[in-house]
Amino acid sequence: MEHLTAETFDQNARAALADTQLRGALKNLAVTFGERRQAAIATVENWEDLRERARSIKDETLAHLDKYLTDFADNAEKAGAQIHWARDGREACAIVLELLKERDATKIVKSKSMATEEIHLNAALEKTGIDPVETDLGEWIIQLAGETPSHIVVPAIHKTKGQIADLFVEKVGIEKSDDVDVLTKTARRILRTRFAEAEVGISGVNFGVAETGTILILENEGNIRLTTSLPKTHIALMGIEKVVPRFTDLDVFLKLLPRSGTGQRLTTYQSLITGTKRNATDEGPAEVHIILMDNGRSRMLAHPTTRQSLACIRCGACLNACPVYQQIGGHAYGSVYPGPIGAVITPQLVGIGKTKQLPFASSLCGACREVCPVKIDIPELLLHLRAEIAEGVTETSTHKFSEKLAFGFYSFAWSRPEFYKLGTKISRLLQKFVAKDGKIGKTSGFLAKLAPPLGAWTAWRDAPTVAPKSFREIWKSDLENK
Amino acid sequence: MNNSEAKSAIFASIRQNLAASLPFDAAHHAHHAPKDSTFTTPVLPELSTENLIENFRKNLESVGGNFSIVYDESEAAEILLMMIGEKKARKIAVSDSPLVEKIVGFLKMDAEFIENASADRLFECDLGITGAQWAIAETGTLVLESESERHRLASLVPPVHVCILEAGQIRQTLGEILELVQQSLSRTITFITGASRTSDIELTLAIGVHGPGELIVILIDKTEEAEN
Repeated sequence: MEHLTAETFDQNARAALADTQLRGALKNLAVTFGERRQAAIATVENWEDLRERARSIKDETLAHLDKYLTDFADNAEKAGAQIHWARDGREACAIVLELLKERDATKIVKSKSMATEEIHLNAALEKTGIDPVETDLGEWIIQLAGETPSHIVVPAIHKTKGQIADLFVEKVGIEKSDDVDVLTKTARRILRTRFAEAEVGISGVNFGVAETGTILILENEGNIRLTTSLPKTHIALMGIEKVVPRFTDLDVFLKLLPRSGTGQRLTTYQSLITGTKRNATDEGPAEVHIILMDNGRSRMLAHPTTRQSLACIRCGACLNACPVYQQIGGHAYGSVYPGPIGAVITPQLVGIGKTKQLPFASSLCGACREVCPVKIDIPELLLHLRAEIAEGVTETSTHKFSEKLAFGFYSFAWSRPEFYKLGTKISRLLQKFVAKDGKIGKTSGFLAKLAPPLGAWTAWRDAPTVAPKSFREIWKSDLENK
Repeated sequence: MNNSEAKSAIFASIRQNLAASLPFDAAHHAHHAPKDSTFTTPVLPELSTENLIENFRKNLESVGGNFSIVYDESEAAEILLMMIGEKKARKIAVSDSPLVEKIVGFLKMDAEFIENASADRLFECDLGITGAQWAIAETGTLVLESESERHRLASLVPPVHVCILEAGQIRQTLGEILELVQQSLSRTITFITGASRTSDIELTLAIGVHGPGELIVILIDKTEEAEN
């Protein structure tokens, strides 16, 4: 399947809107996740305090990231883990490949990790003839389909169970069933053989504790526990922003992340891993490698507005709450990070040149900011990026000139009461010709055919008409009638 | 791979970018400073063992866990015998906890008990029996510390996980438990809340995807016995 790119966001979004299968698959997302989240956050009394606390922990960490990263690496090494540093995705992939080559390992199991998706690790491994097996159910489904995740938490949300049933018939040869339990048991059966033979397990990291060198990984299925305990070698890929200062800071994040992500008080499993096993006969891998990866993250530290992006704990709540994401799903964003958070981190990670449309993929309604467990002001970030894009615009000078002229006129008229009043009067007169049932737009049929710029608005949505009487006029006549 | 080179480059970039941010930080801070001073951990009333057990049971059951309470090890063995019979378990993975060993010692049956099973043998087991070091009442969570018991795989691979817990191991909050386990940090600490689950297909809940589909907790509460 051809993967979409962020460069063609507008086209992607239009295609997604026309895709009825996709719209059907996304139908329940907002309501189901929204309700689950609401119920879960009602089980803590101090939700708003927790959000503030989490954000201030993240701010403190990011302001001294060099210190906390040093502590994390030192303490993890003391406990027996091996630390590797990667400036970018290419280096991180090279480190993984080198580790596999040294161990002559070809049987790899993977648990869900957005960082490995970000650097396209699977593709890099496949080039050398190694086929890593995704073991998270959703990730395995999209790996079988040759697709990319469309959601941070539920990667196969864009697929209906009918599509998944067909996929399983084709790829693993089971009899067709769209019973979710049957599909799930099929995955269990097949992936168990992969776990049993795996030589290396690759995972991501949710939090790394500076004070102890511990990594924490959350999950519901149990595949992360298998990935990090059965194979001889465990490789964990961790973005440098994942560090938190103290072990007890995890309390705050363990309250926020599951509630925001899946609406659970806790996910089924948390694995807190500190270094390697202490006796050769203990359970667990003999070697643990942690790759600390920058890949564009340190650049985001350069301004307090962009720095917020690094506070993200990848819960996906902003995707579920976003009216744009709810309609078009994740693939249209052309990035492994979709939705509101994707629209702000993708341009920062890969550069604004090829992602110019993403910061505009929002109505700035602010729903994302409201649900964000670490209070990232995503609308502020979107505006920051839009400003950056506008500064670099090199469109034709006539376009710039007409836009300047229009906004100059608008600013002149709308800051003077007499012109403002005149403007509404003229609008009231003119709208008589185009309005229908108090709306101007497609239904009225006339203005939509007008040349831009007005037609551009009404081609897609109705514009409300100017009210017959302004507030001031009503106020005045009411006073006179008393 | 010259790793020290990558490391110095990353640290140089972090420091350089943080320095570039300084002129903007004060103005931004004035508008967006988190109200840290408002944060207080709510002080909860100290709960009796009875209340802790009740909270734990309620929250464990709300995530689909199964709960029984017994007076002592021999009664735990009776319940266990019944469950093994019900599940028709033939191969049983057990941890090396003295408590589990003692209870399994009471069982007179021809099922095979496998301690320290290899990966291959684990996958053949129909049931796993472990202890736990702590439990969290507010979430119904079991806490397993690897330095105390070999229970990582026995609690994960077989389709049924039976955990034997003692009443004194329950604490009310996650925060208390984090402080306790940090005192002597095990190599691996595992939190378990309910059975393995997924909502990856159409957000429909399915149980037992990679881990056990059933979680059973047998709680030994000897204070009950003394009162009776």
